[in-house]
Amino acid sequence: MTRISFGRRRFAVGAAAGVAGLAMPAIAQNEPIKVGVIVPLSGPAGPNGQVVAGAVKVAAELLNAKGGVLGRKLVVIAKDDESTPAVGVTRANEMVAEKVAVVIEGWNSPVTLAMQPVLARADILDITAVSKADPILSGQGNPMAVRINSSNGQDGAVCAEILLNKLGAKRIGFLTQNDAYGNGAQQVIEAELAKIGKPWEKVVVEQFPFKQTDFRVSLANVKQAKPDAVVAINAAESSGMPALIQQYRQAGIEGTFVAAVGTILPTVFRIAGEATTGIVSADIYFPDLPPFDKIKENLEFVEAYRKAHNEAPDKGAALGAAALEVWASAAAAAKSLDRKTVAGAIRGGKVPGTILGDLSFAANGQAQHKHTIFKVVDGKTAKIEAVT
Amino acid sequence: MMARLSAPLALALAALAYFIPAVSGGAPVVYAACTTIAILAVMAYGADLILSYLGEVSLGHTIFWATGGYAASMLAVNYGWNGWATAAAAIVAAVVLACVLGLVTLRTREFVFSLVTYAAAVVAMEVAFNWSFLGGSDGIVGVPPLVLTIFGWGVSGAANTDLWPIAWLLLMATLLFIHRFRRSRLGTSALMVQMNPDLATALGVDARRVRLAVFVTSAPISALAGWLYAYQRAYVGPDMFESYFLVLMLTAIVIIGRRLLLGPLIGTALIIVQQTFFSIGGDGDKIILGAVLAAILLLWPKGLIGLWDVAARRLRSSA
Repeated sequence: MTRISFGRRRFAVGAAAGVAGLAMPAIAQNEPIKVGVIVPLSGPAGPNGQVVAGAVKVAAELLNAKGGVLGRKLVVIAKDDESTPAVGVTRANEMVAEKVAVVIEGWNSPVTLAMQPVLARADILDITAVSKADPILSGQGNPMAVRINSSNGQDGAVCAEILLNKLGAKRIGFLTQNDAYGNGAQQVIEAELAKIGKPWEKVVVEQFPFKQTDFRVSLANVKQAKPDAVVAINAAESSGMPALIQQYRQAGIEGTFVAAVGTILPTVFRIAGEATTGIVSADIYFPDLPPFDKIKENLEFVEAYRKAHNEAPDKGAALGAAALEVWASAAAAAKSLDRKTVAGAIRGGKVPGTILGDLSFAANGQAQHKHTIFKVVDGKTAKIEAVT
Repeated sequence: MMARLSAPLALALAALAYFIPAVSGGAPVVYAACTTIAILAVMAYGADLILSYLGEVSLGHTIFWATGGYAASMLAVNYGWNGWATAAAAIVAAVVLACVLGLVTLRTREFVFSLVTYAAAVVAMEVAFNWSFLGGSDGIVGVPPLVLTIFGWGVSGAANTDLWPIAWLLLMATLLFIHRFRRSRLGTSALMVQMNPDLATALGVDARRVRLAVFVTSAPISALAGWLYAYQRAYVGPDMFESYFLVLMLTAIVIIGRRLLLGPLIGTALIIVQQTFFSIGGDGDKIILGAVLAAILLLWPKGLIGLWDVAARRLRSSA
């Protein structure tokens, strides 16, 4: 039989190691949870991305005030993807190195598509806040994808409803951003228009890159086509879209300007002002309108956001905040930070208590929304009214 | 500089380079940065062949870079080809495209050459954007992990730690190729055509043939970089034609100095390390890159190596 004896010093070292071992999980328990945000913080979409990142921080502070997630505080790390897929990939790798529990990302679809595999391979939960392209939810880049913004499919149906049933347009034109988001959106709108079954004609299609701000040549062609309504699909809400609206008015085109769902943000009113009067569009979030003015979480968020940023949150802000709330709520319900467990709790389920109310998700990870159609009645004061 | 280094020293340096990510902590972000630097440096070496040895600025090398990426992603995703087959396809596609573009630009020089190559890149980008066969504006999603096997032994993987040995090998092979090219008949003829076209003609060198040969030789280098980039990113889209990559490859060559074997590698490393570890935001990074480029072109047109010359001259004169 071998006798095992411990010297006093050896025992002390062993005891210290044991205490340290016991203490380790406690330290991990109290360590804050890192939340990554990757959006454009510079360039044409910079102001919009800053709004998303700012909103995630406000939502994180609200959650921290209530004790955080699984008893741990949240720390938000925001990085700039510069609207460039290659840069987004670098930032995604940095988030992997930071060991974040979740990444909330995506203003531009190509950037999201490029980042998805990096985060999926590193087994980090990836929630797309805004990017709309359909392949994002195809499962090829990320089999556990979750998207908070409405899909091109949902928006297309609403846009078709505006064009044929609300405006009674027969001659329809398209001003489309030439990328995954723009072309996908136009395709869906056309398919939904065909589904309604009323007669209509595509009289003009003009395409442009995301960063374009001079549309005069395209608009001359649009004017010549004499459309009843023109659908403008432009995600550069801080530069391209307001410029397009102003130049549309200067060109004196008579057809109604129908802005793609979710593109009339405060930045558009701020830059294009008066020229936005008469625009018809639809969206999924309005901070002060029903049903959001009755949702407790939204009222809290709007107050905190106004305090931090001196303005009301826009849809981009709401999507960023909702993304964090959806993750926090699902992680709390699943009592886990594991990617597959949390994503499983979101996909195909219902997440209560977000600023958008109780949010249902399709099995592919797409959030389900109810759209409100509106018309801008005074662009100067950003006054809109619901179209029923 | 490298020419003076003996082969064993070069081999030792190459071996040391392999361990840079491990020595630098071995974190995934370090492996990602090193793999990216290796890939983008190889991309730049393609354009370097034209800029340094023909003295022309090709604004169309993003075409070959993207060709490699598209060949790898399309054939791996749609037909399940392995890494060797996609690499071979990338080389063939790039050579074919380079022959066409090389013949078209054969008679053009300087400004016109740059303009025509740029126009070709714009056309290629539009084609990629609008042709659903190439994935259109969505690009090609879901590139599988790279599998490269030889005699039963091989590498496979999608993480940067798996891809680093391949990126390192590709970079070393490229450096060896460029080193050999500089001493080859084609390399010396190209320099002669650039420096003294009359002498070249007098010596019976066919300038057009040399230009075409160098152009076609350069294309597969950038294409192989694009090929590996497709596996690293698992997604290929029309953004591979974007000015981000064009500016990066040209800056990487010019920043240190043309006709230096390690110039494009050091240039790429400086830019990527700054953007990855010392980023001051998207706008800030672009201002730094633009300012550094302008300062170098204005103050030391030979590149940062020009600084070395100035210092050496001062030392000599003071001695």
